[in-house]
Amino acid sequence: MSSSVSTGAVYDRGYRPYDGPRGGRRAAAAALYRTSLRRAVGLRRPWRQKVAPAVLLGIAVIPAVINVGIGYLTRGTPAEGFEFITYREYLGVSSALLLFVALVAPDIVCPDRRQRVLPLIFARPLTGRDYGLAKVGAIFTCVFAFSFLPQVVLYVGQMLVSDGALDYLSDHTAVLWQVPIAAAALALFYALLGVAVASLTGRRMVAGATLLGITLVSSAIAGILVEADGGDTVPTGHAAALLNILALPLRIRDLIFLGRIGEDAPLSGVAGGGALSIAAYLAVVAICVAVIHQRYRTAE
Amino acid sequence: MSSIVRVHGLTKRYGGVTALDAVDLDLPAGRVGLVGANGAGKTTLFRLLLGLSQPDAGHVEVCGVDVAADPIGARSRIGYMPEHDCLPLDQTAADVVATFGELGGLPVRAARQRASEVLDLVGLDEARFRPVGGFSTGMRQRTKLAQAIVADPELVLLDEPTAGLDPSGREEMLALVDRLGGFGVAVVLATHLLDDVARVCDHVVMLDAGRLVTDAPTETLLHQTGTVTVDVGPAAVAALSAALAARGLRASADGSGSLEVIVTGDHDLDTIRDVVAELALPLHRLTNRLTSLDDVFTRSTPTS
Repeated sequence: MSSSVSTGAVYDRGYRPYDGPRGGRRAAAAALYRTSLRRAVGLRRPWRQKVAPAVLLGIAVIPAVINVGIGYLTRGTPAEGFEFITYREYLGVSSALLLFVALVAPDIVCPDRRQRVLPLIFARPLTGRDYGLAKVGAIFTCVFAFSFLPQVVLYVGQMLVSDGALDYLSDHTAVLWQVPIAAAALALFYALLGVAVASLTGRRMVAGATLLGITLVSSAIAGILVEADGGDTVPTGHAAALLNILALPLRIRDLIFLGRIGEDAPLSGVAGGGALSIAAYLAVVAICVAVIHQRYRTAE
Repeated sequence: MSSIVRVHGLTKRYGGVTALDAVDLDLPAGRVGLVGANGAGKTTLFRLLLGLSQPDAGHVEVCGVDVAADPIGARSRIGYMPEHDCLPLDQTAADVVATFGELGGLPVRAARQRASEVLDLVGLDEARFRPVGGFSTGMRQRTKLAQAIVADPELVLLDEPTAGLDPSGREEMLALVDRLGGFGVAVVLATHLLDDVARVCDHVVMLDAGRLVTDAPTETLLHQTGTVTVDVGPAAVAALSAALAARGLRASADGSGSLEVIVTGDHDLDTIRDVVAELALPLHRLTNRLTSLDDVFTRSTPTS
């Protein structure tokens, strides 16, 4: 028979007070931003939730890879310098970006309302404004990254396959500020639109479909009006193209890259088209901010 | 004992309905029961303490912070467990609690560590990596409690924490609430279940239709009444009552087959014992009758 005495013990750890550093409202808002961003890109979530951001990034990078590949294959040939896509054209043309926002914005906004998490969030040291900023910030970060990173791939790739990397750099210094500013304008627009629409309902499907519907229907209506007036074939263009919500950030992009509306746009040739585009862009931004503010004005 | 909540003249109206009517409160730190029927104003009071609603009149101070002047400061000291479902169903309990720890101001690493500790405390240590959507009602209530205490608040507001729980789940939840008070966390427990309050609370506040009807330490409400309950079986109630009356003791049937006898001291208890023995009756029960919170509530609330 063993005579050994057990020295093990079971302790009830109970409840330990926390006496470490503690943040305030800013820390709470930053935490909500981080949580929303993680959710948007699928971190700490099942693999199915990681598909959309991974596919979007893949789709977004493909044109850059093709362009760099063409640049590499045409080195020293008469076709050298051919560009499959320019920096300006590359920004915001992918409809995958819209699809991503239509999937992700409702996913990080709607469940909080549908599952009644909002009262719990607003019982923390933050405000409705902080909540809106955190959600918009998370979508903005995703859209900006998915717009900007492919441009980085394109820029670095083009530089490496060019005859002289330094010459390429000095010849393309403008895009170093044009790309991030245009990408930010695009990301802000999509983020505000996505969160504003998603804030109106607790159902993700409804929010996603509404966002796609608003953009596609406005695009179709603008197209019909422009075409009915022959605006897409005559050099004068047509102001009805402003109704195309989806194209508004692209006109801002044109202004940033070209200083005017691109000639390939239906708005090209319209007197004051640039100013009108800025005004329409700002109007949509203001409406979205007002909707978000109203929806989270009073803590629920 | 220092005050954790001070409320003066608090009034809140929703349209033509007065949810709270000039309520004055001075709640001590500890375990406070907030009792009232549905619609009495309990949840409205919580929303006002959290600064989520603006009062129509009156002043609210929580943990020494003027809620109207600094709602963020007040909320950073409060943990809140709502009555309704409020958890993100597709996240694990660990992620939910850690997230609300971060939202409470804890650094990321500390929040995850605290989440692990409080989930252990509420008995969800083995389920912490399961999605909340797959939890039972009891587990969800525990998760809600865990998120309320993860940031180590000075005050925890618990809105009907035993709602929807089976008897064992209710017992466990009450034990947790009892332990919280023992750890030095002030607790305000809103419920319509008076038994819950009698079990774990040191102080009782009763609301009825938005008005304060009682605000007192539990022990002063549950004082002895000078009455004992004698249970000898329904068939013998009349005989025992007559025999006790013959010895000068006033007894009355309580309607459930027992007698309630007014006593003035231990000698009366000896008399009861002797009479029961003389009549050769089976003595099933002889207990002091305490005032229950139900009695207090019934006496205090004309609408109940």
